[in-house]
Amino acid sequence: MTTVSREKKRGWFKEEFGNPERRTAYYMVLPALLIILIIAFYPVLSSVWLSFHQATLTQTGSFNGLENYTELFKNSDFLDGLFNTVVFTVVSVFLEFIIGLGIALAINRAFRGRGLVRAAVLVPWAFPTVISAAMWRLMFQDQVGVINTIANNLGIISEPILSDRTLLLIATILVDVWKTTPFMALLLLAGLQTIPGDIYEAARVDGANVIQRFFQITMPLLKPTILVAVLFRTMDSYRAFDLFWVMSNRQLESLSTFVYKGVRISQLQFAEGNAAAVFIFVTAFLLALFFIYGLGMQTSTED
Amino acid sequence: MTEKQGQSPEKPSGRRINRKDFLKIGGAGLAGAALLGVAGCGGGGGSSGGSGQIIFSFGPDTSGSLKKLVDKFNKQNKGKYTVKYREMPADTGQYFDKVRTQFQAGGGDIDLIGGDVIWPAQFAANGWIADLSDRLSDSERSKFLEGPINSNTYQGKLYGIPWFTDAGMLYYRKDLLEKNGFKQPPKTWDELSQMSDKVQKAENLKYGFVFQGSQYEGGVVNGLEYINSYGGKVLDPKDESKVVIDSPESAKGLAQPRSFIQDQVAPLAVTNYTETESQTTFLNGDCVFCRNWPYMYALAADPKQSKIKTNQVGVAPLPAGSAGSVSGLGGWNFYINAASDSGKQDTAYEFVKFATAPEQQKFRALNGSFLPTLKELYKDKQILDAVPVIKLAGEALANTVPRPISPAYSDMSLKMAEEFNKEFKGDVSPQSAVKTLQKELQQIADQAS
Repeated sequence: MTTVSREKKRGWFKEEFGNPERRTAYYMVLPALLIILIIAFYPVLSSVWLSFHQATLTQTGSFNGLENYTELFKNSDFLDGLFNTVVFTVVSVFLEFIIGLGIALAINRAFRGRGLVRAAVLVPWAFPTVISAAMWRLMFQDQVGVINTIANNLGIISEPILSDRTLLLIATILVDVWKTTPFMALLLLAGLQTIPGDIYEAARVDGANVIQRFFQITMPLLKPTILVAVLFRTMDSYRAFDLFWVMSNRQLESLSTFVYKGVRISQLQFAEGNAAAVFIFVTAFLLALFFIYGLGMQTSTED
Repeated sequence: MTEKQGQSPEKPSGRRINRKDFLKIGGAGLAGAALLGVAGCGGGGGSSGGSGQIIFSFGPDTSGSLKKLVDKFNKQNKGKYTVKYREMPADTGQYFDKVRTQFQAGGGDIDLIGGDVIWPAQFAANGWIADLSDRLSDSERSKFLEGPINSNTYQGKLYGIPWFTDAGMLYYRKDLLEKNGFKQPPKTWDELSQMSDKVQKAENLKYGFVFQGSQYEGGVVNGLEYINSYGGKVLDPKDESKVVIDSPESAKGLAQPRSFIQDQVAPLAVTNYTETESQTTFLNGDCVFCRNWPYMYALAADPKQSKIKTNQVGVAPLPAGSAGSVSGLGGWNFYINAASDSGKQDTAYEFVKFATAPEQQKFRALNGSFLPTLKELYKDKQILDAVPVIKLAGEALANTVPRPISPAYSDMSLKMAEEFNKEFKGDVSPQSAVKTLQKELQQIADQAS
């Protein structure tokens, strides 16, 4: 298998398919692959194809190049959604990371009742988003809402929170931080626990202080985990639908709510909604590529 | 994992398949099954059952009266027709979505649809529902309330039969009004403003007047009530493809709810109120006036839901603007799937005739408080006694105006909901709101035609 490249290739093929056990493995994954092709790849390609057409609900219509996309960037609802989504993603992921890291560092230490605290921290994350969104909406509401009442009495704000788009966006971010910080903390905690304790001991012997140990040991060793956690959260926030839809009762647009309105409620914005869906898909994909290649995220445990 | 492990020593015949072969066959079988499953999904949807059987779709039957109705029909027509009731989502948007998806996929198997009043233009323009003009004679048509009939009329043809109706009305605190020297509910919006202000201050209530100002379908109904009551219109009555919302009347109409909020007759929070929030506020005794649908009257009798009692609650038609009192029209109609074969369409219409007959409408009014669509039933003493809101608000039901009848209504509604909500909040002026809407709605109307 070391002579010529063709030999090599054939060797590879032989190795993969000549071995009966490997062949069986391929037979085993074949149904899954087929299903993925049919239910995942086909719809994605189909909507990309549709996004270049004058599509309506009932028919595909004629090819119109990038017109759907240029229309999209003239649509104020879409731009609203894009702005809200980007602000929401950047701010909430940043806050979640900072707070999550703090929590992870805190519960990484040994103390009495640590198991209980670790479990308790996860409670907000265990709620379905729709339910926590509805619950928080009630708390922000003007008649029975505890937060609105307190904020009004303290004089922080004088108007109902849900009636102001900026306050609503801030509230939505805070709810997301409340909800998903535990997830971030959990992921980071798992990363922290893989760092061997003797490295810290060695550093201490060498005279490194707490801050040096954090930046010289913890952060570099935690980097792979941080990248995975931040990527997960960024993707999630970027596609946020339920929180926006329920928390703001449709008053605050996100990219996903725009898509939903376009393809499900509207009669006329099908093409634009579809183009927006492709836009989300492509930008999310680029974001992931940036994490993997730009920031050097490890995607497998090999080598 | 060697092959020997898979063979059982006590059966040396070798006929037993080994594990690898088993996996191979199993894998192929699975793949085949998966393919079949996928193909099966695409090919399904064909109707089965006897020639006289039709499928009727409607939201959840919480009162139980619908099931009784269907059973009665099936019993009466035993051997001839059967109606099968299929439950749909309670949320009208989701229900719409489901039906529309079926139509897009070629009609689906639902023959008769109990649907919202805002649907027919969209369905009719796409050719999805059958023209019923010839089925209902003029004399029969005149027995129905005008608003619901108008809501079913698209380009001069009738596409639905009104089943039960709904209209916006004004609820007021009878006790508090009397205590403060008002013998009658307000007749105009200005009167409401003054009364509300006085009573709210005298009684130290949280709010004066609440309505539905959130960005959703209900907000559109509320906004249109103000616009219509000042003489504004969305579409030209002579030419439904022409948008005429940019008028001083419309702007004046939209200025009314805004001035309620500015004068603190209504709280700013009303801009995120739907029916639920308005209802809670009123039934908690926190406000003097509330615009809501007829359903709320019955809730006042339930001490679990209401801190005030029925005898404290008054109901009146909505106050008038400069062009009179106008109530937004709600309610549900029957639509027949145009893709169903003619036999099924006939059967479906038999059921429509049965369900809209006075006897059945009366039954549903008494068992579930569904407001009838036949004029004569508003004189029926038994109904008036049993469902007082019908007596109290009969006038409101006579003044209903449907929402714009356009094949692109759902798009128009999204825009109106957004713009009305902004205007209620004071983010845009009434004039600029109607200007923006003029442009956007005309664009939608042009695109749709």
